[in-house]
Amino acid sequence: MDKFFYLITEGMKNVWRHKMTAFTAIISLFISLFIVGLLATAGDNTHKVLQYLRSKYKIEVFFKQDVSNEEAVGLIHQLKKIKGVRTATIIEKEDAVRIFKDQFGEDIMDILGYNPLPVSAVVNLSRTSRDLIRVEPIIKKIRSIGQVEDVRYQGNLIKKIERNYSRVIDRFPYLAGIVIILAVLIIYNTVKLSVYSRKELIRSLQMIGASRMFIKLPFIIEGVFIGLISSLLVYPALLGSVKAINYIFTNFTSWSIRLSFNPVVWIWLFSLVVVITLLGSYRAASNFLK
Amino acid sequence: MIEFQNVTYAHEKGSGVNNLSLTIEDGEFSFLIGPTGSGKTTLMRLMYFDLLPDAGRVKVNGFSSKSITKRKIPIARKSIGMVFQDYKLLDDRNLFENVALPLHVLGHSAREIPERVEEALELVGLEGKDHHFSNELSGGEQQRACLARAIIKEPDILLADEPTGNLDPVASFELVRLLETIHETGTTILMASHNYNLIKGRGRPIYELKDGILRGR
Repeated sequence: MDKFFYLITEGMKNVWRHKMTAFTAIISLFISLFIVGLLATAGDNTHKVLQYLRSKYKIEVFFKQDVSNEEAVGLIHQLKKIKGVRTATIIEKEDAVRIFKDQFGEDIMDILGYNPLPVSAVVNLSRTSRDLIRVEPIIKKIRSIGQVEDVRYQGNLIKKIERNYSRVIDRFPYLAGIVIILAVLIIYNTVKLSVYSRKELIRSLQMIGASRMFIKLPFIIEGVFIGLISSLLVYPALLGSVKAINYIFTNFTSWSIRLSFNPVVWIWLFSLVVVITLLGSYRAASNFLK
Repeated sequence: MIEFQNVTYAHEKGSGVNNLSLTIEDGEFSFLIGPTGSGKTTLMRLMYFDLLPDAGRVKVNGFSSKSITKRKIPIARKSIGMVFQDYKLLDDRNLFENVALPLHVLGHSAREIPERVEEALELVGLEGKDHHFSNELSGGEQQRACLARAIIKEPDILLADEPTGNLDPVASFELVRLLETIHETGTTILMASHNYNLIKGRGRPIYELKDGILRGR
């Protein structure tokens, strides 16, 4: 038990004894974990951003002149039944006059003496779908309703947003994979350098009759300890970054969106770093002792 | 007991030992003499299984080079103390931590270690220097610290490879006296040196090595 306790404390003391090496390792690990963490947080929030953007999608449906407000209510029900439509709100003829006045500052009834504005509807699309929203089939179905005169929508904008979302979702696993591999390599090489820089210690321990595990264990503890320090530093850094982004959104943009930091991302990073440092330091020490 | 039976070992760049047979009985204090490159260090490394012979057999304390496995080498070394010309003290640890290291390897209790370290440091005349780092000690002190580290585990065999190589004559003489004191406790000691004047007239067996061949006793 004393021996095990000694090896644990030796691993921790080694971090202090080799401050510069440990500091460099902690910083490089921190940067790698921070990038992985940011990517994971971005991935976690991508759908939230998409939902926000989708909530801005608006399809304006203008009915024919002879469609009354009462008839329009029935048409609204038809619109709501179309797959991909979340809400459909009727804009009655009187509402249209008010909107016109709000936008142009003049009463169309005073100008023309009658109300030429048709009944219309504002259609919002479903925003929770993780799949790409294809707006054209929805437009086609709306147009197929006989009483529809015209449909106006932000086709290019919707296409652009959906296409970019699709790109991000498709590429995210590869990007995250590359960054994780880089993090693993950085951790492995940091531990390896640390082991190689102390070959004198290893040689002395071998001469004294230390077993391979006795030699390896402090390096493994040291590697894991460095990993733990880095992951502990990453938590406030990620939290701070998300808060900073939210501050920018709130104060410098018109986006009413708030990103969130999911602690599961950090737990995931923490577990990753434990596994990587454990395996990395074990392998680096074993290679040297071959 | 240390036994070499027709041992041959050749380094890649040449030299080593050639068809060497030698027996050192338990409790013997002997010297190994020979010029630089004569094979003294090779012979010592064969004794603590840092090298395994190309031919022949080395037997130390019941462990044979023919049958020893990688896993058993650390066990064999637990009963062997080693002193090196370049001390091999760890410069990131103080004297106490350096000397205590073998006891941790052997699994001694934390309560027992300070007392044992104090005893060893007292024996080599370094009491009160526990917290000094190797760069704060003179060459002679570092070598005595190395000796304290070797004897703290009370080894059956003590191998000293050119321990006086970096010491002045006075410190060299004191170190040999110290080894003689340790030998009185029954430890088998083999000390390699190329300084004949230091070892002559002590009434101890002297093995002479030249070009990897044992010339005589």
